[in-house]
Amino acid sequence: MVRPLVALGVAAVAVGFVAVIDRGVAAALDPSTTVVTLIGALGVAQGLRYANARRNRRRQAADPGDPERRAPASVPGADLDERIERATGPARGGHRTRRQIRDRVRELAVAAVVRGRNVSVETADRLVETGDWTADATAAAFLARRSSYPVRVRIRAVVSGRSRYEFGLRAAVDAIDRLDEEGSEAER
Amino acid sequence: MSETGDPAPNEGPAEGADAATTERRVRREIETGRWDGVRGAALALVGVGIVARRPGLVLLGAVGVGYVLYAGVGEAPAATLDVTRTASDATPEPGDEVTVTVRARNVGDAPLPDLRLVDGVPPGLEVVDGPARVATALRPGATVAFEYAARASRGEHEWEAATAITRNPSGSRERTTAVDPVDPARIVCTPDLAAGGDLPLRGLTTRSHGRMPTDVGGAGVEFHATREYRRGDPLKRVDWNRRARTGELATVELREERAATVVLLVDARETAYAASDPAAETAVEASVGAAGQAFRALLDGGDRVGIAALGPVDCWLAPGAGTAHAARGRETLATDPALAPTPSGDRFYRSLWLRRFRRRLPADAQVLFFTPLIDDAAASIARRIDAHGHLVTVLSPDVTASGTTGERLVGLERRERLRDLRSTGVRAIEWGEESFPVAVARATSRWSR
Repeated sequence: MVRPLVALGVAAVAVGFVAVIDRGVAAALDPSTTVVTLIGALGVAQGLRYANARRNRRRQAADPGDPERRAPASVPGADLDERIERATGPARGGHRTRRQIRDRVRELAVAAVVRGRNVSVETADRLVETGDWTADATAAAFLARRSSYPVRVRIRAVVSGRSRYEFGLRAAVDAIDRLDEEGSEAER
Repeated sequence: MSETGDPAPNEGPAEGADAATTERRVRREIETGRWDGVRGAALALVGVGIVARRPGLVLLGAVGVGYVLYAGVGEAPAATLDVTRTASDATPEPGDEVTVTVRARNVGDAPLPDLRLVDGVPPGLEVVDGPARVATALRPGATVAFEYAARASRGEHEWEAATAITRNPSGSRERTTAVDPVDPARIVCTPDLAAGGDLPLRGLTTRSHGRMPTDVGGAGVEFHATREYRRGDPLKRVDWNRRARTGELATVELREERAATVVLLVDARETAYAASDPAAETAVEASVGAAGQAFRALLDGGDRVGIAALGPVDCWLAPGAGTAHAARGRETLATDPALAPTPSGDRFYRSLWLRRFRRRLPADAQVLFFTPLIDDAAASIARRIDAHGHLVTVLSPDVTASGTTGERLVGLERRERLRDLRSTGVRAIEWGEESFPVAVARATSRWSR
């Protein structure tokens, strides 16, 4: 398809050049309104095609970076935030990451319950499993085996377009933090 | 910024000599695509002009064709630059401003119509005054100079290659070149070691006398126990009160004070280059600062102190004492590549490291382990060294943030790790906002209660 077009173009340009020198050839061309308009329309179409092709091309330029600033330090937990973001995003998968993070939170919760409620590890395990370790229903639902999120959280998740997991995770971390603080106050 | 012409026209031989002082490597050449679309616009204008029978538009299109030709003319010239870089002070104190002057001369035959030169400031330094870059045009033989000030921080900093970006006049083609002076500037910043009060050491220790109270009875200051008199005991240690009360001879034993052998172990793995804010001081900096205070305090107390780094780059200063050792320790903490201000990027093999560390560690040495404790590996290493019979004290700068869920989760896990360590008998001190000596003093008063 392209080759005949290229041949046609080369031929047209050649005829044009010949026409400049030899007026006879120019006179042979039909200068009617239709032909000229057709050529103009062709020019517009080609021009728009070029402009469109440029729109899809990214402009490149060397990026020398920011040598004036010190190499930034990593913030502990920033990579974890990214993982949570990816695991709870609309993309499929992320099930394993979600489970890993949930396990990490569960471990912390059990340790906090052992200290805060002064119970054995087995009891604390059971309390976390049943959701009785905290008054916050969202946090309880995040770690419990059979418990569902409160309707309020479900609605908020739907409205904000985010995952229930995120709400649960934040609530669970809050709850552990509170339990930790109670524990350390009791120690004092 | 200044641009000066070459005053002496006959500098042929000098040019050749200069050329050897700078190494140039072309990194990439690209079409920037800056004038993309001009062709399309010109063609469309001409087309519209023809269709609408408006000669003005056709003429306007011809202007566009002119731009198309302009964009196509000329290659991006080679960055034929000779760069010299000088720092005002090669051995600044931490916090000093070092003025860096960069001079670049066009030693080629062609002018550089569009040159951007960005200096390769070491990643551990921060520029506090002026950008470390210049944009100019340089004709052959002309020189451009610019300067900026960087704030010195601990460590040995060597400048990297500067980046030169040259473009053709229309900017449609671009060439990036690394310009590396053979003699790049280098500064070495060695902080003074300030003593950070008394350091809490644990148990025993060496055969040399020192300041550590031990559980061994003998000569000393503090009361330890009494025992039956044996012939040869010094008369001044006989318990005369008891003799008067019961008629028996007894000898008072005093706590012997001995010197300890201590190895300061600094966590310098990539994870330890963390801070609660990307622009803040990393845990490695905090650890090295605290290790410096501990080093000085322990040496002053008569203990033998060594330094090691937990990281991919090997670092070991065997325990010792004396002025020369103090100087060596100061230098190790300041400039050892293992404790560099930015991570080395090498891989770290934990078991290999642990084996080598144990082989080097004197049998009676105890370990002060400086680590941010933001992963399980650090806690596990502390426990393993402890299990091998060396008393371990974990000193942990708190670099966790409390903004997002992930950051808080990591902070909670770190707290849990500290509790775990304490419950297994490893002493642990953490410090965040307060200074290291204050945290140590607080912890010591808690332990002695």
